[in-house]
Amino acid sequence: MRIQILLAWRYLWGRKQRMVLTTLAVVFGVTLLFGLNAMIPAMMESFRHNMVTTAGKVDISISSESNNPFEESVLKDLSEIEDISFYTGILTKNVVLPESLGGTVNKLTGSSAVTVTGVDVATAQNVRNYSLIEGRFLEPNDTNATVIPQLLADKMELKVGDIFTIPSSEGVSDLKVVGILSLSASAGLDEIFVPLPDAQTILNLPQKINTIDILIKSGADRDVVVSSVLSKLGPNFKSGAIQTGEELASALTMGQSMMWLFGVMALAMAGFIIFNTFRTVVAERRRDLGMLRAIGASKQTIMGLIMVESLLQGIIGTGLGLICGYLFSYLLVSAVGNIFAGMLRVTIGAPVITTVNLIGSILLGVGFTVGSGYFPARSAMKVTPLEAMRPTLGSIEYRQNNRRAIWGLGLLTLSVVGLLLGNVSIAGLSGVVFLVGIILIAPVMVKPVADIFGKLISSIYSREGKLAQGNLTRQPSRAAITASSMMIGLAICIAMMAMITSIEHGFTTYLDKSLGTDYLLMPPSLVLGSGNLGVNQGFIEKIKSIDGVEEATSLRLATSQVDGTTLQLIGIDPLVYPKIAGLEFSEGDSVEAYKAMEQGSAIIVNGIFAVTNNVKTGDVLSLKSPQGERKYTVVGIGFDYLNAKISTGYVSQSDLAKDFNSESDLLLLVNRKPDATAEEVTPALQTVIKEFPTFSLIDSNEFKTEQMGMFKMAMSVFYIMVIMLAVPGLIAMANTMSINVIERTREIGMLRAVGATQTQVKRMVFAESVLLSALGTTMGILVGLFLSYLLVKAIGVIGFRTDFFFPTSGIIASIVVGLVFGIIAAMVPARQAANTVIVEALQYE
Amino acid sequence: MSVRHSLLGLLAQKPRYGYELCAGFTALVGGKENWDVKPAQIYTTLARMVESGLVIFNNLNGQQSKGEYTITPKGHYELMDWFRSSDIEEPHQDPFYLKLMLSLELDEVDASRLIVIQRAALYQELHRITEQRQALDPHNQLAQMMLMDKSAMHLEADLRWLDMIESRLDEVQRQPSPKPAMRPRGRPPSQSA
Amino acid sequence: MATIEVKNLSKVYGSGETKVTALDSVNVTIEQGQFVAVMGPSGCGKSTLLHLIGGLDRPTDGSVFIEGSDISKMSDKTLTELRRRKMGFIFQFFNLIPVLDAIENTALPLILDGVKPELARTKASEWLSRNKLDGRGKHRPDELSGGQQQRVAISRAMVSDPVIILADEPTGNLDSRSGDEIASTLRKIVTDWKRTVLMVTHDPRIAAYADRIIFLKDGKVVDDTLLNGSNGENAKRLKEKVESL
Repeated sequence: MRIQILLAWRYLWGRKQRMVLTTLAVVFGVTLLFGLNAMIPAMMESFRHNMVTTAGKVDISISSESNNPFEESVLKDLSEIEDISFYTGILTKNVVLPESLGGTVNKLTGSSAVTVTGVDVATAQNVRNYSLIEGRFLEPNDTNATVIPQLLADKMELKVGDIFTIPSSEGVSDLKVVGILSLSASAGLDEIFVPLPDAQTILNLPQKINTIDILIKSGADRDVVVSSVLSKLGPNFKSGAIQTGEELASALTMGQSMMWLFGVMALAMAGFIIFNTFRTVVAERRRDLGMLRAIGASKQTIMGLIMVESLLQGIIGTGLGLICGYLFSYLLVSAVGNIFAGMLRVTIGAPVITTVNLIGSILLGVGFTVGSGYFPARSAMKVTPLEAMRPTLGSIEYRQNNRRAIWGLGLLTLSVVGLLLGNVSIAGLSGVVFLVGIILIAPVMVKPVADIFGKLISSIYSREGKLAQGNLTRQPSRAAITASSMMIGLAICIAMMAMITSIEHGFTTYLDKSLGTDYLLMPPSLVLGSGNLGVNQGFIEKIKSIDGVEEATSLRLATSQVDGTTLQLIGIDPLVYPKIAGLEFSEGDSVEAYKAMEQGSAIIVNGIFAVTNNVKTGDVLSLKSPQGERKYTVVGIGFDYLNAKISTGYVSQSDLAKDFNSESDLLLLVNRKPDATAEEVTPALQTVIKEFPTFSLIDSNEFKTEQMGMFKMAMSVFYIMVIMLAVPGLIAMANTMSINVIERTREIGMLRAVGATQTQVKRMVFAESVLLSALGTTMGILVGLFLSYLLVKAIGVIGFRTDFFFPTSGIIASIVVGLVFGIIAAMVPARQAANTVIVEALQYE
Repeated sequence: MSVRHSLLGLLAQKPRYGYELCAGFTALVGGKENWDVKPAQIYTTLARMVESGLVIFNNLNGQQSKGEYTITPKGHYELMDWFRSSDIEEPHQDPFYLKLMLSLELDEVDASRLIVIQRAALYQELHRITEQRQALDPHNQLAQMMLMDKSAMHLEADLRWLDMIESRLDEVQRQPSPKPAMRPRGRPPSQSA
Repeated sequence: MATIEVKNLSKVYGSGETKVTALDSVNVTIEQGQFVAVMGPSGCGKSTLLHLIGGLDRPTDGSVFIEGSDISKMSDKTLTELRRRKMGFIFQFFNLIPVLDAIENTALPLILDGVKPELARTKASEWLSRNKLDGRGKHRPDELSGGQQQRVAISRAMVSDPVIILADEPTGNLDSRSGDEIASTLRKIVTDWKRTVLMVTHDPRIAAYADRIIFLKDGKVVDDTLLNGSNGENAKRLKEKVESL
């Protein structure tokens, strides 16, 4: 091993420029992989931090399996269990404080929130210790009273005796502060305590609790108690505090797998660059390798030499990539974080390094590099000792180009057929097949493409253009490999651009459809999940009674679990909802589906859920509810705009109330009568809303514009990624060009010796680079179109069905970028070539 | 003729005894193995030069055999004349060439064997010279090394010439052999020695 | 037991119309401590003979015995080890690793054999100074003249104490003075270190350093001349040759 390390290190050191360029490719890949993935956990972490109720100093916390509230009466069952000294029921939920109620308001981060916890005043202090610094704790006959933590009191400038107003299902609740708690140990949101009945009113959950805190007798075995409690309560309960916002967490997990995919793509490109470099390295060093074989290096030693070299680059690249990745993620968090913070109501801290991400990035970074070195290493192994004896090394040109092209053509046909079959997994596979096909066919494409573009160049620099054209067609395989690395870069860019254009178009369509109503009554947070406080039936009645309002319907929310997957349940009114809004169906008939919903126990699921859980229309799902498992029949697959990103099911509001104890309206959709004007209706609505500060009145058109702006902002992240992926392409080109120049130092020296001027040599290298990039661009556009079609289809499958838009702007951009890259990539090598000292060049071995 | 002029050269430095001249000449050519000149030949040459008035012999103590030789102005003139002339060896009188040409005419002798034997001998000679040269000290015997180099290079040239003959022997054989021009009458042409 | 014994060795390249017989039933025996030059016109098969003896290539027919063992039947692994321990190679283009300095280049065979780096370096330095390269140990090949590079290569060939040194046109890329230096270095390896040197050359002056010259022509041995015998012995051999006329 020692010899391999010594040689590998020296060789790398001897060709610093190349080492830097190839290592940089790895650095980029790992930066993306690690950086993007450090950002997501950062969000998850702060999310958990903020949202998850801290259990406090209790021995056992019990909550329902589906995280939904359950009947208070459940508590009675616990009295029979031995070893429990005390237990108490709690109802806890996060409530967003709107601006009008003193919440801090920031355009991006929105209002602040508090956790409202209803405690059974009689038993609460048996289980938990509430240390007061001022005032008293709640007393049994208290109503509209609260105990708040010191931090909140300071923030809101509240003293004992003051009134603290929070949003409530009945509009607002005025709570009298009776005590101030010293505890601020619970991280995240400030927790205020109110008597349980008050909480049930505020949250519109009469007779419901969502957590039981238990204190066990000293000396009792906690595990035994937990299991006897759970067996008493039945399968719908779990040990542990309620976990709010699981649906969001699952959305973030989705995002995380997207990020992984991105990083892996970037690394694949890096792998290609490494492969290309090592291929050249092996060709360049045939003599050295032959000599080593002759003086007694075994085949394994030779193979090890190249492998160690790639390993070293992999380690260096990955190491630097990890550092850059962290910085990148830090930048990203501070730049993009604000947008997410606004949407999710969480503040995002520093990037988080998870073990999985760290180990995964290292394994993938080093693995890809070493893997890319494998095939060149194998060909190095096959170098015979006789190579050492050969005075000059002729470059080997593959004769099987034509045979390969036929294979390539076959694969291309196959992949197109695969795409047309319409099956996702087959289509995905055909994407890979297409790429391989293009790479195989590339050497044959060199000549025609070089001929066409060569003519263009020849019209500018007649002599140099011809020479460059000749150089390329002489070694089509090498040219093809160079162009391929560029192709991959551009293809990804085009695919992404096409996807973005298509999504953008689809997005607008959905927005129009989902928000077809004139007004939206929105909760503070866009995502329906936690933190938003529902209102009771009275609100929608008030809205409906307004003159000029034709129809209003609401969305309600609960969560459930199906086979371990968290499913967000949206309650809709199957009679009214389709009239004024409507879901976008990708499977099943809408009329039939809504009809089935009226009958009850019918569910419409969205695409994400359908794909991840492999659900089809007609399937029967078993949903976990506080009342136990409930069977629902899938009657359709569809989604609305707001819930496209999270696993969601739509059920009727009556089912939701019956099975999931949720009767609060979270979001209202309101339509004007055709003859009513905005001037009449808007003020009336605003008046009603004053009593319910949780809601904000949004004109749908304004909202749409705002959403489009948000969307474009989010898409700008994608554009950044496109650039991040394109940069390695540039590196690959520059790298291959300079390797090309190094390989041909002798030839260039000869050209100079027989009278070529520096300018001519420079032009020749330039022309060659431009030709190569033309080839790469042509291939890139072909592959990009294919991939983008595939991507758009794939998104359609997970529920975001959209038409394919031909990425004209993407293609134009790619052509420009391709040519510019070609020229930039040629700059250094061209100068290098022009400055070649003739005598040295002729001696170059 | 070079022995004669070398002796004149040595005497141009200073008058010398006979044995002094013998030793001086041997040193000049770098040893007996390079050019073995017997004292008798030296003395004969000296005697001839005395006769021609190029050197004068001064008897010492009246003894006939022992005495110093001194160069005369005529001798000095002759020496200078020698320096002014150039030295081109006669390369055409090559005995191996004759052997080879004749072997081509005679069926009983194989020309290529002849080349093999000649080459072996030349290589042995070259090896001997190389060894000798190796034994010399380049710091104070450079002149002798140069002489060795001369021999080595000549041998090398001979060997290359042999290679060339060998590779083109077939062609030579196919060509008509050089025949004397037949003259029906008159005397044969005079030949210069 | 002869150091090198070649029996009925043949090598044919290609087949059909492009078939070229590089070696045609060659028999040669080389004893230990002999300095042998292989000569002949280009394309006579002299390099092929060297490659086959060095185990760099496989014969079509016949065998090569190195110290009694048949290398044409060895596996690639055994052959590699044999090359590493018993043979030293010197190439026309020196073939030094450009990114390693003289000491490292010299020490390569030892490092490949797993010798401790310090010991390998010491041995390498010793050989460099024996070959008059003191103080050049830290120089990289591009900082050395051709002759110096070849002397590094000779040091590399000698460092693992091989039995046989194989040199392919070792002076082919050098001027005549450096060529002489290299040839006399090889001569010393035979005289002082009793190694066997097999050298392919087309230069008569370099060949004259050898003890024996084998002439090849069209893949066959056409002559085999001993150069170093006493005068009498040589004369006797010559006489035998003449008589075979």
